[in-house]
Amino acid sequence: MRTDTSVHAVPIPEGLLEPALTVGKVTPGSLDDQVLAFPETKPPKQWYLALAVTLSALGVGVACIGYTFTTGIGAWGNSSPVFWAFDIINFVFWVGIGHAGTLISAILFLFRKRWRNAIARFAEAMTIFAVMCAVIFPLIHVGRPWLAYWLFPYPNERALWTNFRSPLLWDVFAVNTYFSVSLMFWYLGLIPDIASMRDRTTSKLRKTIYTVLALGWRGAASHWQHYEKAYLLLAGLATGLVLSVHSVVSFDFATSVVPGWHMTIFPPYFVAGAIFAGFSMVVIVLVVVRETMQLKNLITMRHLDVMNKVILAMSCIMAYSYMMEGFTAWYSMNEYLHHGFMNIITGTYGWAGWVTISCNIFIPQLLWFKKCRSSYFWMILVAIGVTIGMWFERFVIIVISLHQDYLPSAWRIYKPTMIDFGILLGTFGLFFTLVLIFARVLPVIATTEVKAILPDAQPSHGGSHE
Amino acid sequence: MKTRLPDHGPVEAPRFWRTLEERVETPEARQAAHDEFLPGAVPAYDDVHGLPPQSGVSRRDFLGLVSAAAALAATVGCDRKGQGTVVPYTKRPVEVTPGVANYYASAFQEGRRVYPVLVKTREGRPIHLTGNDEHPGVRGKTSPRAMADVLRLYDPDRLRAPKAEGRTIGWAGAEARLQGALKEAKATGKPVLLLSGALASPSRKALLADLKAALPTLEHLAYEPAAGDAAEEAARASYGQSVAIQPRLAKAKVILSLGADFLNGEDPETLAAWGAQRRLKSAKEPINRLWVLEGPLTLTGTNADHRYPVAPSRLAAVAFALARELAAKGLSLPAGADLSAVSGGAPADVPAQAWANLVKDLQHAGRNAVVLCGAQMPAEAHQAAHLLNALLGSEAVALSPAEPLATTRDLEAAVQGMAAGRYAAAIFWDVNPAFTYARAAAWKDAVAKVPLRAWIGLMEDETAAQCQLVLPENHWLESWGDYTTPGAAVLQQPTVGTLYDTRQGEDVLLGLLKALGSAPAADYHTYLRARWEKAVLQGGTFEQALHDGLVKAEAKTVAPAFKGASVAAAAGRATRRTEGLELVLFPGFATLDGRHANNSWLQETPDPISKMTWDNPVAVSVQDAQTLGIQEGDFVTLTLEGTTLRLPAVIQPGQAMGVLALALGYGRTTGGVAKGVGANAYPFLGLDPATANVRPGARLAKAGGRKELSRTQSHHRMEGRDIVRSLTMDEFLHHPQGHHHKPELVSLYEEQKFPDHKWGMVIDLAACVGCSACVVACQSENNVPVVGAEQVAKGREMHWIRIDRYYEGELENPKVVHQPMLCQHCDSAPCENVCPVNATNHSPDGLNQMAYNRCVGTRYCANNCPYKVRRFNFLEYTAYKTEPETLAYNPEVTVRPRGVMEKCSFCVQRINDVKIRAKGEGRSILDGEVTTACMAGCPSDAIVFGDLKDPKSRIAQLVTATRAYRVLEEVGAKPAITYLADLKNPVAGGHHAN
Repeated sequence: MRTDTSVHAVPIPEGLLEPALTVGKVTPGSLDDQVLAFPETKPPKQWYLALAVTLSALGVGVACIGYTFTTGIGAWGNSSPVFWAFDIINFVFWVGIGHAGTLISAILFLFRKRWRNAIARFAEAMTIFAVMCAVIFPLIHVGRPWLAYWLFPYPNERALWTNFRSPLLWDVFAVNTYFSVSLMFWYLGLIPDIASMRDRTTSKLRKTIYTVLALGWRGAASHWQHYEKAYLLLAGLATGLVLSVHSVVSFDFATSVVPGWHMTIFPPYFVAGAIFAGFSMVVIVLVVVRETMQLKNLITMRHLDVMNKVILAMSCIMAYSYMMEGFTAWYSMNEYLHHGFMNIITGTYGWAGWVTISCNIFIPQLLWFKKCRSSYFWMILVAIGVTIGMWFERFVIIVISLHQDYLPSAWRIYKPTMIDFGILLGTFGLFFTLVLIFARVLPVIATTEVKAILPDAQPSHGGSHE
Repeated sequence: MKTRLPDHGPVEAPRFWRTLEERVETPEARQAAHDEFLPGAVPAYDDVHGLPPQSGVSRRDFLGLVSAAAALAATVGCDRKGQGTVVPYTKRPVEVTPGVANYYASAFQEGRRVYPVLVKTREGRPIHLTGNDEHPGVRGKTSPRAMADVLRLYDPDRLRAPKAEGRTIGWAGAEARLQGALKEAKATGKPVLLLSGALASPSRKALLADLKAALPTLEHLAYEPAAGDAAEEAARASYGQSVAIQPRLAKAKVILSLGADFLNGEDPETLAAWGAQRRLKSAKEPINRLWVLEGPLTLTGTNADHRYPVAPSRLAAVAFALARELAAKGLSLPAGADLSAVSGGAPADVPAQAWANLVKDLQHAGRNAVVLCGAQMPAEAHQAAHLLNALLGSEAVALSPAEPLATTRDLEAAVQGMAAGRYAAAIFWDVNPAFTYARAAAWKDAVAKVPLRAWIGLMEDETAAQCQLVLPENHWLESWGDYTTPGAAVLQQPTVGTLYDTRQGEDVLLGLLKALGSAPAADYHTYLRARWEKAVLQGGTFEQALHDGLVKAEAKTVAPAFKGASVAAAAGRATRRTEGLELVLFPGFATLDGRHANNSWLQETPDPISKMTWDNPVAVSVQDAQTLGIQEGDFVTLTLEGTTLRLPAVIQPGQAMGVLALALGYGRTTGGVAKGVGANAYPFLGLDPATANVRPGARLAKAGGRKELSRTQSHHRMEGRDIVRSLTMDEFLHHPQGHHHKPELVSLYEEQKFPDHKWGMVIDLAACVGCSACVVACQSENNVPVVGAEQVAKGREMHWIRIDRYYEGELENPKVVHQPMLCQHCDSAPCENVCPVNATNHSPDGLNQMAYNRCVGTRYCANNCPYKVRRFNFLEYTAYKTEPETLAYNPEVTVRPRGVMEKCSFCVQRINDVKIRAKGEGRSILDGEVTTACMAGCPSDAIVFGDLKDPKSRIAQLVTATRAYRVLEEVGAKPAITYLADLKNPVAGGHHAN
């Protein structure tokens, strides 16, 4: 326990005091030794094994995408009326996963949640990797992928312009902005750490690379001053994006006329769902990282506890959203909407509806119990459940709504193909491949930020950036 | 060439000089200064012989060759797929203007039916068919199968040269062999068998008579496996001769169908009369009433005002009971008709109240009532129908003598003759008995005993495989012909030169005639023309007849008289009962008897009832499916008299309990498209002509496994939604808009302005019977690709117009409605604003347009289309096509590649064609001048296209009709298509369709 009474005139009551953010004795020097050592040591065998697995999955995905390119979208299960299926489900799923990182690194930063410092780096990296997985889908899902660049408004000799009324175009901007801001934000945060690594390394190659990447960082006061300002500004920008990106993604559905898509609740519901899914993925990865990389003293059980509480809160918002969907279907007296909602719970894909509800609403309620929040087994169970549940939520929204819309004559059952599953597997392969590489080549914890929250850090700064 | 400067006489000493030699003016230097280039730079040609000198390639030539080679290499890389050489005509063919279509009148025969058609040709290629509008009967309409037959012209499977024993030989050799065999037959007096399709052509008939005269042992059989032996058998019994029965629905107030599917699209004349009776503006206009008693659910049954499922074997008993009842009510029986074997009272098959209504209806309508019997129904049912028409004195049916058709009995005799070695030769002309004859094995053994088998046809089939001589025939669009139709003598003319080394069958027969010593004409064209000039033209010119495609003339025939004496025996047989399940074998909607099985357009046109494509599952009634535990798509084994077939089952609502229905014409073993599609049902055909197509004692059992049905519609109920409105006459009179409120549509956007035209469409559901002629017309007009069974099963069919069919009410006998569904060209189209690249947008004349080139294929538009009429090229459906298949394309419509969305364009190419023509003539577009392919193809005139901005147009008046409504109007898309509610005319107070 440590007190901040030196800054505050009124003593903070004992119960409200923030517990220590690290466990055991951590000094700036030991922190550097602990975190920055990874890129300089040879990865263990298990790492190579894991990489082999993820690369194989990635290979399957690449092969399936190649097959799709040579054959056409007909290689997938998509058909009329389910013109979108795994392609857009996966897109929304991965964009959603990304949201946790931005929320942790930007919003929690602005809210001065100091515990986020230890996990922000990893979460942000996951954001970038998830968005990379997501952007694959808009590119490959079009019928003529070699013309996908037409979605960008660029001046051309044919005087053709994009349709700014189309939510798909809004998506293009939203996702691109999101990716570029996230990347800048992440890279900016990395600069001081890269400089530290540059200074520590003895390998000539590494030194050259880190020197270039560190952009001449010397740790001068003026550097820090600019750095802190830029970080704050980008955090502000990214905060807006956390809310806007998934809202825009939800517009793909909300602005359409498809019963089950045309819902005003979608933007906040999508954002909450994204945070929900993203936090679950972060929990899964962090548990593995903290165990395998011996970072238990920095990524503490308290972190996981707080994350699990966020997951629980989001689960409650999801429950509310699901209920509102049902309420809207009933209260609107819209027979199409009503039919669509009943399909979720009793239709051909009713099982998918119940998987969604169970995984997203019922199972996360376990997190009300402290025991579950502090047990690897239960938290991983919930997190995997939520990941599956949120994938199925998009399945419910997209496939169930589309497969039975207005004219019953056009209704049809959708069946995915092995290619669909192969591409989904491939994106998981890509995601975890990037995570594995990241864990070995860059500092997985923002040492400079954690140094600021060490008990020995300047007490007047409260351990956070001002 | 060497460049020479003009010689200006002696050159003065130069003021400036390049070399000393030049300065001192040596002759060489003078020459060098004279020449533009230094020696060697230009080839010095041998002026005398015009040859290059011995020195080889000059520098200039070398550079030229190198640059030419480089340019060539570069152009190889620039080659674009599918780009051909464009060469202008050196001699332009007569009548062919590139880019301008020519139309020729011709005719298509299918069984006994003849379709006078108008053939649209582009650059000499026939590409689209419609009915001949000059013909008083068909009035510009035709059948789906006739329209699709243009594709057969370009079928890659067509035989291209004569073959003997599988080896290609020339015509000379083939003819010599056939003629030799016939000469020998004539000498030995052994019979020759000629098996052909129905005889509907007077010139062909005359030719056959000539041949018969030259070869008295010729035995000719006209064989139509789809025509229904029972109908032929019954006609011979009732009238003592073969009879063609043509309904005259214009005169019918009450129609009773005994399993007759007269609205199935085959008969444009009947459909036109039906449509005319049903397109009511007010409930006060007269309308007919259709009663249907049938086993399987037919298209006619779905359009009935009252329909009752009755097993086909029971139809005769029901109909004779009806005759007895009507006779008891005072209608006079024909002389000699004895109904004493018929038990009185209402049969159990029809509810008592309905029975009373039916009797009353028929009695009141009298000669304005007509009873029609399905060709495949048992002969007794036909005879009962003949009796009823005679009893009623029906004027709503025209009977005329017809050329006899061979029944299975005649075929069986021929088979026995062949087996006994009776025939010296057999010629099979446009028939495929090896496939269509019930006892295929017996046929094969028998035919092998004929010394010379010759086959004449378009594509090598199962019969061709059994013949030594295989002679390729012209497609009918390459041939001459003529037909007798009610109201006109019709000419058939070639609209394209022969694509391959083929001849028309008649020319082969003429060759035989010549060899046998009589030579009536050099070729069939001359033969036919001579006959026309002698017998038909009556003062008109042949050219005019060719132009019109016909000469109007009512054939003078004596209506056959009904033989009352035939009744007693038929009525006695009518009471026979059946055991087990009753299998009804009917001609396939797409394939007919199998002759169209290689036509992919037809294979992919959904069956109007089951919506099946590319297959002939056995249809099982709802009750039997429940008893047997059969689910949709389950494989079953169908067994009848030792023949067993494993095939998938579909559950058919409305089908009579105890009845199974199976389409013929599937399960072919030859043909690139036809092979292996569906199961061959011919082995189930009976040998007794009276009941050949209705077989008792069938057994059905689950076989294990399930097939993914290639069906275009998998959900059959409307879920209580206001999609197809159907009114009874009572409702039409009192609440034409029903309980539906017109939704108030509020838009935040400004209404779209349409300065000149606003194209729209009205579809009258009361006139639409669901025959799918529009589907085929659209396919042909708009180059709609065919995707195959597997893709259809996945929901990827590409039809721009489809017919939605919904069942309502109890499954055992549902009410059925049809609704053509196509792009609604919405004013606030949901598809338009979601396209990120603006590939679909609205034209100033109200069309929802697709720019294929711009489409990247996000498919968002299709998701957002409430009508689900957008079609996506999920795979490459067209690029692999080569000639001759590509010749069937309409050059005015882009062929869409993989990854592109497409949909109905309201035939924008036709609109623009008319627009340009009107503009050229300095006038405005006339109402009715623009017709979409679906409208032109619709035989019941249910589809009307036109300009909504023209207040005098037909469509502008129809959209304000009391039956008018728009589908899913509440979504707010503002569709440009207005539907007029379906009408049913049940007996007042009666529950309609029941």
